[in-house]
Amino acid sequence: MPITNRSYWPVVASAVFAAVFVLLFLYLEEQWEIAVLAVGLVAALYSAVRFGFLGRIEAAASDHPRTTIVVNFVAALAVIVLLRGEHFALLMLATVFLYVTVCLGLTIQFGYTGIVNFAGIAFFGIGAYTTAVLTAHTGVPHLLVIIIAGLVAGLIGSVLILPLLRTRGHYAALVTIAFGILFRTFLEVSDVLGGPQGLKVPGMQILGWSLNDNISLGPLGSVSFYASYAVVALLLAAGAYILVKRLERSWIGLNLDAIRTDETAAASFGIDVPRWKIFAFTVGNCLAGFAGAVYAMMSGFIAPASFNFGDSLLLVSIVLLGGSGNPLGVLPAALLVVVLPEKLQIIQEYRFLLFAVLVILILRFRPEGLLPRKMREYFAAWSRS
Amino acid sequence: MKRHYVTLITLLFMLGVAGCASDDKETVKVAFIGPLTGGVSANGLGGRNSAELAIRLQNADSSSKYKYELVALDDECKPNIGVQVATKVAADKHIVAGVTHYCSAVAMGTVDVYHKFGLPVVVWGAVLPDITYGNDYAEVHRVNGTMINQNEVAADFMLQQGYKTWAVVHDTTDYGKGHNRYFSKFVIDKGGRIVGTFGVSADQQDFNAELTKVKELDPDVIYFGGLAPTGVRLRSQMEKLGINAVFQGTSGIVSDAFIDGLGPLAEGVLAFREGAPVEKLPGGESFLSQYQQQDFGEPPEAYGAFAFAAANLIIDAIEKVGPDRKLVMQELNATRDHDSVVGPVTFDEHGQNTVALITRYVIQDGKWVVWEESEYASGKRKLPGS
Repeated sequence: MPITNRSYWPVVASAVFAAVFVLLFLYLEEQWEIAVLAVGLVAALYSAVRFGFLGRIEAAASDHPRTTIVVNFVAALAVIVLLRGEHFALLMLATVFLYVTVCLGLTIQFGYTGIVNFAGIAFFGIGAYTTAVLTAHTGVPHLLVIIIAGLVAGLIGSVLILPLLRTRGHYAALVTIAFGILFRTFLEVSDVLGGPQGLKVPGMQILGWSLNDNISLGPLGSVSFYASYAVVALLLAAGAYILVKRLERSWIGLNLDAIRTDETAAASFGIDVPRWKIFAFTVGNCLAGFAGAVYAMMSGFIAPASFNFGDSLLLVSIVLLGGSGNPLGVLPAALLVVVLPEKLQIIQEYRFLLFAVLVILILRFRPEGLLPRKMREYFAAWSRS
Repeated sequence: MKRHYVTLITLLFMLGVAGCASDDKETVKVAFIGPLTGGVSANGLGGRNSAELAIRLQNADSSSKYKYELVALDDECKPNIGVQVATKVAADKHIVAGVTHYCSAVAMGTVDVYHKFGLPVVVWGAVLPDITYGNDYAEVHRVNGTMINQNEVAADFMLQQGYKTWAVVHDTTDYGKGHNRYFSKFVIDKGGRIVGTFGVSADQQDFNAELTKVKELDPDVIYFGGLAPTGVRLRSQMEKLGINAVFQGTSGIVSDAFIDGLGPLAEGVLAFREGAPVEKLPGGESFLSQYQQQDFGEPPEAYGAFAFAAANLIIDAIEKVGPDRKLVMQELNATRDHDSVVGPVTFDEHGQNTVALITRYVIQDGKWVVWEESEYASGKRKLPGS
């Protein structure tokens, strides 16, 4: 740990602020409340950037990486506890955490190594379908199912390794697009996997405890069963976050960054380019598979129509919107992309129009994403010396 | 920083104030879910407007015991979004019942949610049999018929007209696949012949490969199982290849959007749909004229009347037993010969409306015309290839 004398209070303050915001964002339903909230957020963010709070928060976060994770984890848990009875809000929150997990996988692939993956939702889907098949036909414990689902996603992704290594840039992107479309078409014509009608998936059970039952707290009311899923999804997202953060700060992260910046230069410095590409691609796909498994058990029903090419684009747009290569940026971006269309239900058929305009506006004023990636700090206090 | 606190405190206050609206009548919320964006949004919007019409008419009636409010949500015709909005609706204790789903795949995904939360729903458009017959959920009802009835009538009718061979083109959704399954079964059982079956994806643009093959097979009829956008593309590309066969569609193409998309090419297209045409029903004329009066931007489309009927069933049940999910569900389950704009509604033990009435349609001069009244039936005009 670098020795610093700066306090971690900015991190705590921002986590509390974020938690309150998320809570209100999920809880409020009226359109004018949402509007007030949005205006408030823009004002708060503007002043944070203007008066340098954002910079202080980021500096504090990079000085206290562990505290940052713990504080944010506790804040997220607090949100879940406060929302305990709200089924829908918890479902949205759990979905956000799962999308965050997938997008952290994409961050390793795209943000660090520079492999554009337009089939993110396909690997998510592989995880989901693996779960559906395993839970229906075998008695494998569900926690193990999640792990197997992730590994299967990584394994099936290895089919793409050869074409990906042979191609670069746009061509590599095309390979993944083709795979994403292939995956959906395959599901639709495959009657064993339920065909277009999809498959039912039983709820998750851990050590005989069914996550699909509401938890009764006696006189204190009952806790929505989605709360359990939200906690599982949060643990998954937190695990993925720690993994990505550790990777970034390790020598592996250095190698990945080098490959993204210039493949030829990296190779001439002795970095094994194919090896690290395979590593990044597979780890990213595994993360998508884990998330897909939890999603399948949570929603109880999966169908090919849920794994469109459009959803893959949505995942890529979360990474870009958050600031490519910054795992922290994925959080607000996922929240925005997943929850905002839902909050705009009030304007019904015009909601995607408004949503698209908002995304364009954000990228107009913050072209590098909400929270752009900072320069790598090789030593403590590097950027300030 | 001060600004944050001010905003936050104001927000918290607002939270407290919200929900304190008062009215002399108790407000009852009813949900509507359908595809309001995407390829089949025309049907979703027509359905939403029709359900809204039912609510407005009831609210205008001074003898109404409650003030009704429609909560309309978009399922995008995607199961994952469907499960999300279904959870939103079902978890909201203020919502008593729902008029839900046009797309079968979405309805299949959401019935479990309704069952789990005990929300009574009436399906207004999805035609897959399994939605009602694949489970024992007392919460799920459906006013429109299933694709089984539709295809039996279609097969009978076409064979009577003297057609013998079919090429089937269907989209690979459950809707298209189901139609293919039931129609093929009925046609073969009754002595017809299927010369070729082609599955296409619902968003496929180019059908030249399939249609070239179809031209070789030279069937009397091209049976299309799918929704209007795909149907429009298929029919216009048939023309380009010079295929002179009858185009026979399913309930999915019975919409004004289909005719608008094709223009004169739509002439002579056949389709089958559950229920009687709206204007032929006791309340049909008044439904259409009231719909016109409300100044909605979009037409009610083929399933609007079903959404209207579903909303009215729910309203009648609430008027009778009060805004309580369990009681409303029991009341809906006991529906027998209930008058509605789509004819008398009777739910069987699965909540399925047992209307066997299927109407045959043909497009004549840019309009969906009931077969019996068309110039084709009277022999004045002839379908292509006959």
